[in-house]
Amino acid sequence: MKTPSPGIMAAGLIGLTGIILVSIGAPSSRKAPAPISETSEPAPPTSVSARGFSLASTSVDLPVDDATYPDGPHADVINANCTSCHSASMALTQPALSADQWKATVTKMREVYKAPVAEKDVDAIVAYLTAMPSQKAAPATGKAQDPDPKVAPDVSGGTG
Amino acid sequence: MDNFDAELASETSRRRFLRHAALGTAGLAAAPALAQQLVDLKLPGGNAERPMTSAFPGKGSMILQRVHPPLLETPMDVFDKSVFTPNDQFFVRWHWADIPTSIDVETFRLNVFGHVNRPLSISLAQLLRLPRVEMAAVNQCSGNSRGLFQPRVAGAQWGNGAMGNAKWLGVRLRDVLDLAGVKTGAVQVRFGALDQPVVADAPDFEKALDIDHARDGEVMIAFGMNGEQLPLLNGFPCRLIVPGWYSTYWVKMLNSIEVLPGPDDQYWMAKAYKIPATPGANVAPGARDFPTVPINRMIPRSWMTSLPDGQTIAYEASIPVGGIAMGGDCGVAKVDVSSDGGRTWYRTTLGADEGRYSFRRWDGRVPLRRGANPIMVRCWNTNGVAQPMKPIWNPGGFMRGNIETTTIIAA
Repeated sequence: MKTPSPGIMAAGLIGLTGIILVSIGAPSSRKAPAPISETSEPAPPTSVSARGFSLASTSVDLPVDDATYPDGPHADVINANCTSCHSASMALTQPALSADQWKATVTKMREVYKAPVAEKDVDAIVAYLTAMPSQKAAPATGKAQDPDPKVAPDVSGGTG
Repeated sequence: MDNFDAELASETSRRRFLRHAALGTAGLAAAPALAQQLVDLKLPGGNAERPMTSAFPGKGSMILQRVHPPLLETPMDVFDKSVFTPNDQFFVRWHWADIPTSIDVETFRLNVFGHVNRPLSISLAQLLRLPRVEMAAVNQCSGNSRGLFQPRVAGAQWGNGAMGNAKWLGVRLRDVLDLAGVKTGAVQVRFGALDQPVVADAPDFEKALDIDHARDGEVMIAFGMNGEQLPLLNGFPCRLIVPGWYSTYWVKMLNSIEVLPGPDDQYWMAKAYKIPATPGANVAPGARDFPTVPINRMIPRSWMTSLPDGQTIAYEASIPVGGIAMGGDCGVAKVDVSSDGGRTWYRTTLGADEGRYSFRRWDGRVPLRRGANPIMVRCWNTNGVAQPMKPIWNPGGFMRGNIETTTIIAA
């Protein structure tokens, strides 16, 4: 999300400041805590429609994942560092990867995705990841291109 | 479109407003029982069991790859019921965990700015009044089937269900760009959304298309999906539709359209979602330092869906088989099927043509032998491209498209 030009921004602030201040009170940069209780019946969702199609305001609750990494050496370190941005299942469902691949992944989380992981914790996290039971899975079987178990670090940027 | 209030384009203020807008109750999500049963995705090398879940809003029974941020995969049997994937079983994939959970349709604005003559801040009521288009198109994750790569690669370990096909209702991106008046010298258009990184300074998820592609009259801003509004997890209130291209470009919760006078050099275009600049995006396992390009057009694929892989059935001399096919960036020309490892191929009958970017049903019949029958499906698209027998490999696990095999045991 690029910020619009200063001119647009200024115009927007002038136009909306009053409405926004009334609507939201003091702004904060991150999620506000949810209200503890609602005393009145929620109003029906607002909607807009035109030409035979309607869109209704939507409010949902997403499931909370409180799963942690199973016990093991350095589980405390990985649980402290690697559960807020993503579920533990992201690591637990990975195929067997080399220590170099795991280190590259943790490094990418720190350097590219700005995960607040202390450099001193990286080795412990990599040690936990490489020792997960799933990392001792049987080597891949199949007929694909005579697989070479040594795989270079991902240069594609990954994801998807 | 009467008056577009340019002053409403204050991105920062608007986003903050949306984040705090309270719609109805906003209690903490009860922690529902996520795991209902396990499904085996049969990924080579194991670690392939995943729970099924119905715990996500607007979603029925899905394969749970990750709760937070959500990765939900569509079970393959869903594709056997219709070429259109129901909204409540359409796959879900988010990069960042800060996903707005409340969207107010009266205050939401879609902002168009950058290298344009008239920056716009478009309300949904205005969007609904623009000329409409509807198109069937397959939305497939770049990494669909990554879990089937050999050697395995890191990333979301999808089976084949990170895809879906819907009838998308919306407006042409070209019409919106024309309202804003693209200035001479525009090179790309960058698309941003309401979701945000959870940590400061991390790269916000944004994708870009070349200006000519953005203005080709096919790229859409969709607010309707199979006749209904989009589920929030599929991008409510509106998302980009890029027919024939991988889903990474189909930006969900689209709220920002920025016309650029040069190429987008930010992380998600310059570094992520890159494929080898080789035929079929294929390199030898272990290759490094090859040139890359942003992933782009899809390729033909097909699956048998009438029976699940590994199913045992009573022996018969032949059985009916059926499934789905997609041409990728064009239509499906034909689909053949084999039950002897690809030595003998049989023609199939194609179902209704819902448009060249849609899934297309195929049905045929194959002979069986007692024991294991590897049933293979092969799609040719209308550009003359056929699925190859041999899988590709690349370190991102992108663009799998080889002939897939479903093994049926005749006992």
